[in-house]
Amino acid sequence: MTTELEPFVWQVTRDQIRAYAEASGDRNPIHLDDEAARAAGLPGVIAHGMLGMAQLANFVVAYAGDHRRLRRLRCRFSGMVLPGDTITFTGSVVSEEDGLVRLELNAENQKGERVLTKAHAELKAG
Amino acid sequence: MSPVAGKSYPPVESTIEREHVRAFARAIGADPEAGVPPTYAAVYALFATAVQLYGDPAAAVDFAHLLHSEQEFTWSRHPEVGEQVVAEGRVEEDVDRRNLRFLTYGTDVLSSGEPLCSSRMVNVIRG
Repeated sequence: MTTELEPFVWQVTRDQIRAYAEASGDRNPIHLDDEAARAAGLPGVIAHGMLGMAQLANFVVAYAGDHRRLRRLRCRFSGMVLPGDTITFTGSVVSEEDGLVRLELNAENQKGERVLTKAHAELKAG
Repeated sequence: MSPVAGKSYPPVESTIEREHVRAFARAIGADPEAGVPPTYAAVYALFATAVQLYGDPAAAVDFAHLLHSEQEFTWSRHPEVGEQVVAEGRVEEDVDRRNLRFLTYGTDVLSSGEPLCSSRMVNVIRG
């Protein structure tokens, strides 16, 4: 039996990327300045991988009910996340044993491209 | 052998500050009153120590061409607001593959000498 998580949609904005740069301290210009991003070979500013991972955590915590249950969170940042993108997070419970609930997770943009791969979480059984 | 594989950096102490946690929670769209969001570990684990690596002339990290490729956090428990934590970073791997440099950086975070969180980050730097 597989339990699917309620999907979660994230609308990516420049304002949130700027707010994340301030709050996290990661002010790499590829997140803040289009010209600097293009000079680094990117199409323009991109979201911090960690901002996407924060959304992944929000998604998992909404399912878990309490962030203190989260034991492990992992992902690979496989695609760029740009302002204006709509990212949909999906996931399912794949096992529950030894007091741990394992989740497999996915995140795709509006074109169906995966922006996170190898995304997993482990929760303490509730 | 790469220059910095195996290198560790001095421990960095920090306090989980309420106002900073709230600002972070608001920025990511989490509830600012629900305690310390899990990925606040980006602050007390990751960046607390990654700046040592990025600022290390021996590591020679080309920050302009650096991308965060993979991230894993493992929590023994989550910190609470007001807690003091100590983070210690080390380079786990530093290898070149197909003109890309893969730099894996691990950080262990302790509170009162007990494990709290560990982080494993893979950066890819284009040559």
